[in-house]
Amino acid sequence: MREVDLNRTLASLQSRNVTLDVNTGDLCFLVALRQLGDRSASPSFDEEALFDIYEQVCDLIEPGAQNPRKRAAHALQRLRDQRLLGRIDGNGVISSGEYAMTRLASAIVDFFIEDDALSRESLSILTKALLWQLGDVKACAQRREWDQVVLRLRVAVGDLVAGIERRQQGLDAQQHDVRARIAALLREDWFAAVDACEALLEETAVTLGELHDMLLQDATLLHALLHEIERLAMTDDGYEAQEAALRAMEHVDRVCAWGGSRQAAWSDYYQYVQRYLRTVVRLDPQRAVSQRLQEHVSSYVASPYALVFAQADPTLVLRDPDRRPVRAPVSRPRAPREAAPDLVDAASQVPLSETVASAVDDADRLSQVLERLLPDVPAPRRYLYAGRITGEVARIRRVSRGPWNGVLDLQVEDWELRAK
Amino acid sequence: MSLQAVIEDVLFPQVDLSLRAGRHIDQDDFAAYAFLSEGQAALETFYRRYGWDLIRSTEGFFYLRPTSTKLRRRRLGIAEMLVGQSLAYLFLDPATLEAAGVVSRTQVFEILVNLVGEERLKLALFPRRRRRDQRTEDVQVRQEFDRALRTLQSLGFIDFVDEQVRLRQPLMRFVEVVKGLSDPRESLARLVAHGEAELVDEPDDEEDVEA
Repeated sequence: MREVDLNRTLASLQSRNVTLDVNTGDLCFLVALRQLGDRSASPSFDEEALFDIYEQVCDLIEPGAQNPRKRAAHALQRLRDQRLLGRIDGNGVISSGEYAMTRLASAIVDFFIEDDALSRESLSILTKALLWQLGDVKACAQRREWDQVVLRLRVAVGDLVAGIERRQQGLDAQQHDVRARIAALLREDWFAAVDACEALLEETAVTLGELHDMLLQDATLLHALLHEIERLAMTDDGYEAQEAALRAMEHVDRVCAWGGSRQAAWSDYYQYVQRYLRTVVRLDPQRAVSQRLQEHVSSYVASPYALVFAQADPTLVLRDPDRRPVRAPVSRPRAPREAAPDLVDAASQVPLSETVASAVDDADRLSQVLERLLPDVPAPRRYLYAGRITGEVARIRRVSRGPWNGVLDLQVEDWELRAK
Repeated sequence: MSLQAVIEDVLFPQVDLSLRAGRHIDQDDFAAYAFLSEGQAALETFYRRYGWDLIRSTEGFFYLRPTSTKLRRRRLGIAEMLVGQSLAYLFLDPATLEAAGVVSRTQVFEILVNLVGEERLKLALFPRRRRRDQRTEDVQVRQEFDRALRTLQSLGFIDFVDEQVRLRQPLMRFVEVVKGLSDPRESLARLVAHGEAELVDEPDDEEDVEA
């Protein structure tokens, strides 16, 4: 799928006021077009055929509807305006045209008619087709036709795996419906619904179990083929093919993980409902307990009572002693904070500027100046004096960057010095 | 299973501590439940010496019921009883089956207010209060509600699943009073006689009964 500029796309949709409104009648009409088109192997219909098909669909879903011809005309116009039907001939407005479903209409119909639930049969067909496709891909890999391998893995295998995943969504929806049905049955029939609920539970559990077993079994074979394709791609530096094989393996893993997680979730639900049927429904066939509890709670405050339970003091459970190595604290040698000031003879002191000026006379690098002046400076003060000397050097000489070198216990950028 | 085997089992310390803390163990704690089922006979004798009965309810959960004052026992507070009964009411409702017994806190609170009534709820939770401020009381009612939920969760009546509440089998204890065909007052008298419940005469702040 090509990259789209989201902002521009959204602005364009908004400025064109794009909407999509497909009612049930329109959808049924599109599904009928698809089925008839597939049957006759002809995707296009003339206007008269479209009207006839619409009227037939109308008779089926809304018998006795008024003015089906007029409704058909409005529906066709609506579908054309929304680009669900497109004119494919070039005869203009003079004669009636030929129409076909657009890609948008096909995608909508695909979603609705192909979203059936995953069954043992459909899974078997899909995985067998997938195995056959992968066998073909492996043969291409053995012939070193890497373009074919990549194309088939991405397109054919991707389509088949997507087909399985779509059907998984259908099964998820079906499970959701089963849960809602069980709740509704109990709400309506209570005790009389127990057998029906148990039957629904068993049926779904068996289906899920079979699907999961089949997925595991087929996944082993699928993985073996994909590993072989990947291995062949690796030996021949077919990186794209390798990548495509890995992605296909991820899809297969995802399909298997779905099976496992659904079975686990259904197992929890199954046990919960079975316990509910056993402890709530069977023990209270008349469904009187809920009503009695409701009355009891509303009168509880007037005559309260409390349930009693044990609450012993917690036993002391000593934790295992933690033998941690004792780390020495980070420290440095203590130096006296207050030091007596140095006594100096002011008259004998040479200003730093003069000292530096004499040192740079025959020096062409900063390190030479520092090596000459810093040894006389006490070690704790060298850093401070190095800064002062460097500042003075920069004042009286033109400097340029240099490498970092060590001078005594300091690291300095060894400037190159030139006369100003 | 002999007592020695029970005590030497790797699960015993955790199960023993849970029971002594008042926790109700149902089939959702599968390993602990299976352990208690196998060692029930030995453990009944063991706990009886401490003045507890190890009860296995017909609804499929275990808990310790104090029969003497040798060790500390506790009763639920008013808030916990009201919230517990509301949870039990939801547990009985087949509508909660769809989500396998997971309900929102809001649902539980709404049921509580519908069953008891807002004003009566406040009077029940704060009986000694003379001056009432609506806003403060609303906040405090929610705080009591949350506190009650946490207590019930620690005792194994419910679980927290993200921000929602999962109902568990031990909630059936709150239904004992109305389960049979007899008058609830008679059922309550029977429960009190067996040490399952106590009548609350005065609303007191300290619900612990010291040994």
